[in-house]
Amino acid sequence: MKEPAISAVAGDTEQLERAYIDASTRVPVLMFYTSAMAWLILGTLLAGFVSFKLHSPDLLSDVSFLTWGRVRPAHMNVMVYGWASMAGMGTAIWLMARLCRTVLRYPLLLVAGAGFWNLGVLLGVGGILLGDSTGYQWLEFPGYAAIILFVAYTLVASWAVLMFRYRRGEQIYITQWYLLGAFLWFPWLYAAGQLMLFVVPVQGVLQSAVGWWYANNLLFLWFGAIALGTAYYMIPKVIGRPVYSYHLATIGFWSYALFSSWTGMQRLVDGPFPAWMITTSIAATILTMIPVATVGLNHHMTMQGYFPLMRYSPTLRFTVFGAMSYTVFSVVGVLISLRSVARYVNFTQASIAYSHLGLYAFFTMVIFGSMYYIVPRLIGREWRYASLIKLHFWASAYGIGLMTLMLLAGGFLQGSSMEDPSLAFSESVETALPYLRGRSLAGLLLTASHFIFAYHFGLMLLGLGRTSTVPTFLNPVEAEASGGH
Amino acid sequence: MKGLAPLFLGIFGTFAFSWLGLTVVPNWQIGHLSPQSDEEGTDIYPQPQSGMFERGAHVYAANGCIYCHSQQVRADYAADDIERKWGNRRSAPRDYIFERPVFLGKMRMGQDIANIGARAPAEPASPAPAGVAAPAASPSGGTSPGAAAPQGGAPVASPGAPGGSPPASPSSPISKPPTSPAPAAPPTTASPAAVAANAGPATSPNPAAGAPWPVQTAGEPAMYSAAWHHVHLYSPRSINVDSNMPSYRFLYEKRRIRDARSADALQFTGSDAPPEGWEIVPSFDAKCLVAYLMSLNQSHPLKDVRSAGGAPAAPAAPAAPAPPAGSPPPPPAPSK
Repeated sequence: MKEPAISAVAGDTEQLERAYIDASTRVPVLMFYTSAMAWLILGTLLAGFVSFKLHSPDLLSDVSFLTWGRVRPAHMNVMVYGWASMAGMGTAIWLMARLCRTVLRYPLLLVAGAGFWNLGVLLGVGGILLGDSTGYQWLEFPGYAAIILFVAYTLVASWAVLMFRYRRGEQIYITQWYLLGAFLWFPWLYAAGQLMLFVVPVQGVLQSAVGWWYANNLLFLWFGAIALGTAYYMIPKVIGRPVYSYHLATIGFWSYALFSSWTGMQRLVDGPFPAWMITTSIAATILTMIPVATVGLNHHMTMQGYFPLMRYSPTLRFTVFGAMSYTVFSVVGVLISLRSVARYVNFTQASIAYSHLGLYAFFTMVIFGSMYYIVPRLIGREWRYASLIKLHFWASAYGIGLMTLMLLAGGFLQGSSMEDPSLAFSESVETALPYLRGRSLAGLLLTASHFIFAYHFGLMLLGLGRTSTVPTFLNPVEAEASGGH
Repeated sequence: MKGLAPLFLGIFGTFAFSWLGLTVVPNWQIGHLSPQSDEEGTDIYPQPQSGMFERGAHVYAANGCIYCHSQQVRADYAADDIERKWGNRRSAPRDYIFERPVFLGKMRMGQDIANIGARAPAEPASPAPAGVAAPAASPSGGTSPGAAAPQGGAPVASPGAPGGSPPASPSSPISKPPTSPAPAAPPTTASPAAVAANAGPATSPNPAAGAPWPVQTAGEPAMYSAAWHHVHLYSPRSINVDSNMPSYRFLYEKRRIRDARSADALQFTGSDAPPEGWEIVPSFDAKCLVAYLMSLNQSHPLKDVRSAGGAPAAPAAPAAPAPPAGSPPPPPAPSK
């Protein structure tokens, strides 16, 4: 299941070559993954704190750096820049090396990049907690941290471009389109956001427009692109079958790049902006159904007949969950941006549900899947406990599912109360509170899942994985499965 | 896909398209607005703010107020913001031209505060404790245009805000509605009705429909006055038991009273009151934050935006206008 069973001599050399390439990515990729795991744990703890404080506001509120309004952006930035970006880059680096079919060159660029990135996130989060936040959502890091992040990023991106020059083979695989896109979009996006907000700031409400344009594009063109690229690699790889249709993939990629980049303003629906800006983004959000349909169809047709393999392969299970969440995320995105619905949900917890669907149910689950595939190949050991992987999966899946439901339902009810002027405003907050408590419960599940994964990952780092030639399957592979595969 | 060139071009092209469309073109369209003024060049709105207000905005950003409070009023056809008395007209791009950062916000776990300054009483409320000076964000010196406002009279842009805030210094010539040219220039001054609505005896229920907590606790400072903001920031649940706003005690200092009680000291009634011989005073940051909050006021009419009630020159204070016939009754008092 790990690799298609190949017996020919040519196949053996190919496998050997692959192992050689994997080994060359070991230090940088593990560095990104380990840092990402540390940020994930920190971000999870902050998240729990944020979630509980929202319905128990007096919890530790006397300490300035633990006030809700500082811990919340700290949590968000740790997750976005610490966990998601670093884990995503780790996976992207490994995929790049494999797909360029060349050993990883210039590892020092990446090691330095990871180091600076960590420093940037650390300074940024410290700055936020000490009261240095810029006040722009998703771009709260103070200037000194942003510059370090940008330097770190330049190192990683220049590595990616260099690697591309050494690639072997004419064919550029689908995954590489997405990864190349992500690597080139991010610096432009980040630079544009920083320049238009801090260096030559735009006037008035346009700051908010730039901010949400940045946030949505970061979600789609950086995280979304990495996750889709990863899914396009992992699903065919694990089931040992080529992607169903290259044509669909092409349509999916270009429509994704075109339409999702125009979203963002729908978050400001009915705000003080020219109506065309918001309407355009709403239209673009609806048009993102085209990439969703093509990508979803492509994955589905590739998986056709192979769904039972999700019983065994951790990678497949996480990746397919993530790929399906991409559809859910996009559909929810369309629903909450329609003016008639946005009237009720625009200023409510529903928008938090949307971000979590994108960043967690979609992106993070795909990245978890890729880590289950990649880490054993870097370390030369297999995951130690199938039970821990299963626990991780179910805690994550139920956690994020419950959280999304709670925030969507709570958000909608909160908005309905808010839009009923015969009710006092405080009623709308009270309406949401039970759902926020439910969200805290979901957060506990996610916390458990992350600690389990971190523990398992730690065992792997310490070389305590299983020595085996067979990957760790979630359930014992029986005769029924080996027949088809 | 073969060949890098089309891939690169496509990646750059799609993104450039979006960048131009959603940031550059809007910047060309609404990125260089100027304040509006009347024919004589007076009555300028909005006006840049500085000094304590600017610092207050930083305190606002640093402590993440934006994650619960929005500062935008949606149009009456789009939402019920105006009916909630969060403003008397929708917010427009011109309202924000001097703000940096702009705190439009994306969440309302707390109320919209685009006009919280306009809702402030124009007077230090409660006549009873007149001697016990209400604390306030007394704008220090002439750091802001607002501080000079009371003398100026007519050109005041947002009188409800800074003009109403210096009650801490009883010596300063506060422009009370009767002495100011308020009746003559209704658009530029907090209307007397607002005063009546907010500054009545503290024990009477606040008649302002849409006010968040219709029954005001006896002994509290008048709603949305500077003194009220300080108590609210220090102990939100002493004002509204259902509030889930965190307390910002770290912006306040608890200290022993030296000679006399400080003029800035917070007035407490309940369990939050400090022990005998102690007082709680706002830090400079807290004063700046309150000064900033009191300056939030979009009640000035804009030529390109229709104000509620039709007349563009409607009185400024959103709390003032009587609910039009047919509008829903005032909210019931929270039963808890």
